[in-house]
Amino acid sequence: MLEIKNLHASVDGKEILRGINLTVNAGEVHAIMGPNGAGKSTLSNVLAGRDGYEITQGEVIYKDENLLDLEAEERAQRGVFLAFQYPVEIPGVSNIYLLKAALNAVRKHQGLDDLDAIDFLTLVRSKLDLVKMDEEFLHRGVNEGFSGGEKKRNEILQMALLEPSLAILDETDSGLDIDALKTVSEGVNALRSDDRSIVMITHYQRLLDYIVPDFVHVLSDGQIVKSGDKELAKELEKTGYSWINDDA
Amino acid sequence: MPSMKGLTELATPFATMTSDLGPDVPWLNSLRLKALARFNSQGLPSKKEEDWKYTSLWAMSQQEFTHQASASAVTTEQCDELALLTDNYRVVIVDGRFSAELSQLDNLQAGLSINALSDEQGLAIAQPHLGQQIDMTKAGFNALNTLLMSDGVVITVDSDVKVDKPIELLVINTGETASLATHLRNVIVMADNSQATVIEHYVGLSDAASLTNVVSEAVLSSHAELNQYKLQQESANATHIATLSAKQGSKSQWATNNISLGAKLARNDIHTQLLGEQSHVIMDGLYLVNDEQHVDNHTRIDHTVPNTTSEELYKGVLDDNSHAVFNGKVIVHKDAQKTDANQQNQNLLISRGCEIDTKPEMEIYADDVKCAHGSTVGQINEDQLFFLRARGLDEVSARSLLTYAFAVDVLNRIPSEEIRQALSTVIETRLPQGGI
Repeated sequence: MLEIKNLHASVDGKEILRGINLTVNAGEVHAIMGPNGAGKSTLSNVLAGRDGYEITQGEVIYKDENLLDLEAEERAQRGVFLAFQYPVEIPGVSNIYLLKAALNAVRKHQGLDDLDAIDFLTLVRSKLDLVKMDEEFLHRGVNEGFSGGEKKRNEILQMALLEPSLAILDETDSGLDIDALKTVSEGVNALRSDDRSIVMITHYQRLLDYIVPDFVHVLSDGQIVKSGDKELAKELEKTGYSWINDDA
Repeated sequence: MPSMKGLTELATPFATMTSDLGPDVPWLNSLRLKALARFNSQGLPSKKEEDWKYTSLWAMSQQEFTHQASASAVTTEQCDELALLTDNYRVVIVDGRFSAELSQLDNLQAGLSINALSDEQGLAIAQPHLGQQIDMTKAGFNALNTLLMSDGVVITVDSDVKVDKPIELLVINTGETASLATHLRNVIVMADNSQATVIEHYVGLSDAASLTNVVSEAVLSSHAELNQYKLQQESANATHIATLSAKQGSKSQWATNNISLGAKLARNDIHTQLLGEQSHVIMDGLYLVNDEQHVDNHTRIDHTVPNTTSEELYKGVLDDNSHAVFNGKVIVHKDAQKTDANQQNQNLLISRGCEIDTKPEMEIYADDVKCAHGSTVGQINEDQLFFLRARGLDEVSARSLLTYAFAVDVLNRIPSEEIRQALSTVIETRLPQGGI
């Protein structure tokens, strides 16, 4: 599904990612943990195609294509989904308009016609239940006036609707209380499948109690310094990140 | 400022042209003569005047205008297509002339009258109000309009009458007469506790370099409610000059929305005087310009008595080498305690070549008031843009969508769903990338 090879990336001439190697197979859930400033958000932004990052070395292969050659929207249309750490508010664009435009962009790439209004609404309603959102949210501006929890649930709603092959969840647990964390996690778990890979980027182990990963990687200073299974996350929870640099 | 050829030729004895200017009545002739004297003494505004600092009339003043329209063949079907609304009372003016055939004024509701200024009844109704809402000592265009006004619409709504359908004034410039100048005067008289919605809709059918010089005057008695919207879609080479002016009695509400999309040069002067307590005005507007378009909106709200309120939101989207000017004046007079006034101007710049000159102004002479004003100039938000692209929208669509979202915000205070929808569709098709 995804193969990151020796990825180096800089922002304003400063190297943030310094040789990342990571292979994610279909159906796997990977957690990438690390302290602040390790490069976690840079990694998710580079994978999603945000401007402002210079790739100095390495490549990222996604479904036999070089992901880095594609524009952000081309990646999304091919099934790469980034759940934002800070979902933006877009007053004036209704949530339902965004959902429809996003779904139709993916469908167009797949050679499918736009869904008609009735089929679309039926589909969206079925997804709303998954994240326990009220239909009223569809008619509000995108994330406009949403609470932190509502914004994250809205991200998962978009993911449920778009059914990506590769979902990158960037600090999805940040700013969530325990109930919202459960709802969001249940939504993500319901979307786990053999043909969908998930990369979770998180500072805290807490999220991993709810979305149990197959693999855990520790990112530090732009490199993956340790990989293991879910037990590694527990170890981190106990010892913190301070040991990493000593050990490495 | 050089005098205008074609226009000032009319400063020569105009007795010969009274037939073109509608009924030959002494009081009107005398009004015109005063306007003539006024125009001759002040001429057209120049950039030396503060209110015209950013808007040059030089190109227009070099143009030869005619006031004689040749016959044009606009059909009812065309009007149906051009009109913003389908279910409306419709007044159609073609190349400066009211058309009874194209207008739809059958079965007017009781208590509502709609007449052309060019007919005797309309003129008689307009007489006590003509020139009462405007200031002829400023901007020579008002004097010019008074001198040359040839047609327009006169609307009255009787006490306690709520007009059941919007009234659309469809002003069509066909372009069949080169460099045609038209001077329209509209008068709306709202009696106590009456209610109406009027849409002034200006359309150019060609790329003719026409001039529209329109003055609309509204009088709102107490408790009257008038929604007066304007949609300006003149031709790409047209000049559009408009004054929209009101006087408001107690507890009246005047809601304007001024959407400026067309013309090479467009200037709007919008003014209300809040003369009765608890009167309220909404002054909203949008200008969406590209290429070399120039749009200038000057608004003025006079709070003259206690307990009056005003809300104003003007938004602009500027692309290519367009130029926009916004000057909003809110004047709180010394007796106008408890005034609540809010004025905002927000601009979205799409290109590097465009220019906005914005000047929100408040003059406050009372001490117990709540007043806020502000102005912003920005670009498309990069975070929003990336978010939409990360959801699969291509960059062009994403930019269009964000521009649209920014612009349609000005329609929020229009209560009619039908009108909001119709206007948002017009705005959508006018986006820099041609739709979303």
